Amino acid sequence: MKSQYFAGVDIGSTMTKVVIMNLAMLASVIGPTGPEHRKLANKVMEEALAQANLPFDGITYVVATGYGRINVPFADKQITEISCHARGVSYLLPEARTVIDIGGQDCKGIKLDNGRAVDFVMNDKCAAGTGRFLEVTAEGLGVKLEDMGRLSLEAKSKVEIGSTCTVFAAQEVVARLSEGVPLPDIIAGLHDAIAARIYSMVRRLAIEREVALTGGGAKNIGLVKALEAKLGFPVLLPPEPLLTGAIGAALLGKDIVKQAAESGTPLPKRERRLQEATLFT
Amino acid sequence: MTEEKKKRRTATEAAAKIGPMVKAMIASVLQARDEGKPIAYTFICCCYDEIIRAMDIVPHWVENYAGICGAKRDAQRFLERAESESFSRSLCTYALCGLGFDAWREGLGEMPPDAPWGGQARPDMMLGSGQILCDPRNKWYQAAQQYMPDVPVYNVGLPWPPYENDYDYREVQDYYVEYIVEELKGLVAFLEKHTGKKMDWNRLSELVDLTDRTWNLIWETYELRRAVPCPMGTGDAMNTMVPIVFMMATQQAYDFFKELNEELRHKIANKEGEIPDEKYRLIWGGGLPSWFALTDFNYFNSKGAVFPVETTYRMVEAVYNFDVDLSKISDPLEHIAWRWLKYWTYWYDKARKRPGSHPDVERLIQYIEDYKIDGVVMHEAFSCRTWHVGLIWQLNRLKKIYRDIPSLILESDIVDISSYNEADTRARIDAFIDTLEAVKSKER
Repeated sequence: MKSQYFAGVDIGSTMTKVVIMNLAMLASVIGPTGPEHRKLANKVMEEALAQANLPFDGITYVVATGYGRINVPFADKQITEISCHARGVSYLLPEARTVIDIGGQDCKGIKLDNGRAVDFVMNDKCAAGTGRFLEVTAEGLGVKLEDMGRLSLEAKSKVEIGSTCTVFAAQEVVARLSEGVPLPDIIAGLHDAIAARIYSMVRRLAIEREVALTGGGAKNIGLVKALEAKLGFPVLLPPEPLLTGAIGAALLGKDIVKQAAESGTPLPKRERRLQEATLFT
Repeated sequence: MTEEKKKRRTATEAAAKIGPMVKAMIASVLQARDEGKPIAYTFICCCYDEIIRAMDIVPHWVENYAGICGAKRDAQRFLERAESESFSRSLCTYALCGLGFDAWREGLGEMPPDAPWGGQARPDMMLGSGQILCDPRNKWYQAAQQYMPDVPVYNVGLPWPPYENDYDYREVQDYYVEYIVEELKGLVAFLEKHTGKKMDWNRLSELVDLTDRTWNLIWETYELRRAVPCPMGTGDAMNTMVPIVFMMATQQAYDFFKELNEELRHKIANKEGEIPDEKYRLIWGGGLPSWFALTDFNYFNSKGAVFPVETTYRMVEAVYNFDVDLSKISDPLEHIAWRWLKYWTYWYDKARKRPGSHPDVERLIQYIEDYKIDGVVMHEAFSCRTWHVGLIWQLNRLKKIYRDIPSLILESDIVDISSYNEADTRARIDAFIDTLEAVKSKER
């Protein structure tokens, strides 16, 4: 029997992620979505195909997910990021019952049951509690985003950031800097503020252990520690937190193909074209 | 002025007639202004519809007009005007829209340019409704008097006994009725004074009877929506609320529901659902809708979801189900008072029987069972504090004492479109449908 390959494409507000899988992961590429790049999701796909050494028509099924999933011409199906994260986390961390995904411009809490999402909460209205909050404040502090986590661990005395509004918090940070508060103390305070915001939202789900943390926020060790402090127990982290949605998308594609074969029904497929994603028309 | 871009698709012919009916209603108020008939600003669910109709007072429903501005996506300029008058944007946006409009109209001495459907007519009186529904119902007109100091306000106190799980309100119900009757007498006296006309008590009794019959007919009509497939959803009910809350005590409201009743019976007989392939049955479990985004109901439909029932705007019960026989209460004011009291306490007895329950939660449970509901959708309109506070509590309580039913909280506003993001809203709906499917497939 011919080998089957499944691709998951997760077009987030900040990053585009593609994985190609058969029995295991063959390729994974993470590229920026950004205003100029968002039409170039096909390029990220091409890079992944090259990594897996496969032609595009060698992919059995492509599932797109994420904020920009709507008009991806090279996908057979679109599935919500909630379902894809649920599937991806259940595959990577089967013991997880709750997922907290901290994305570039939104934050989600997902309750899992038997590998599927049975409840969720989302914050997509406000930058507080998302990666954007950290981006804006990192810029205000003159610190690289990727250094924020490490620096916060050096804090001696965390400052309290009163505002959860991104704009006001950025102002507060400048004020603290001018008062001479050490940088690590400010950054640790910021992590506490964002963790409090996320925790208050996710609590609506009646959090069950184990809790998996995904998305860009899971790559920030300071934020992870702050969230663990709020939760009162350690969280689980996937090997690459940015890829869980794309992995879930690929796995759901695999499930669809398997289900169609078992039931003898035609595979729900579109005529795929490896072209630019037009996103929202 | 910007018109709503996409027209919402209705399931019933009756619901499709509502737009022109509302337009005609607004035009009739403007005509009344020209003809010198007395006009009163009023609120929905005011309880005294029959009284103002019997006194030939033309009601202008201020919440309705703000909703029209919202639905036409033309509310922002009135909200901004209210903000420039130093009102906070976090207040009720119905009130802000109305106050902004009034401030503009009074400043100009004429209607604001391109006022939706001709505009909100200057009233001769403003009839508040000081009940425990929401604070704008007695504060809005107080604020409006800044622009119309010559227009008198009358606030009618309309209480009902708060729910206590270990206490039967019937011990005090006679006091409540007595109080409400006195308040209504005060309203009649106020109206007689300001119109120079005497109340026609026989006519009032006729209208009270018409209202009872209309309540029964509405209840019976909405109960038809239990059918599978569901012939009419909440999207349509956001239209058919118009005769319930803006046309009560009129033959037009009764006739509308007679027609709707017949239409639904016909659809049910032909197994004609709102959508051809009904997969999920949902309840609109609370919150006022985003008037500018009613097409979201069509979006739910496109995913196989229907709303056979809602708690919002279903502000009637069958009066023959009350524990008092209203037909034996001949005094019209007393009759109105008892109907009011029994409506608001209708779910109290049921709630007391289930440990940890509450009337609002009990109502949800009953509807979930009667209408075979798979999931609950609620809307947190940021500017509606009255609904906002209780919604999450109700949902949590429902899940605790009944079952862990899938739920979705939408977040936006009733009028303020700046609070709304279509892409995000629909992403939430998509995710909710996924969870419904996950739960259903687990139950299979």
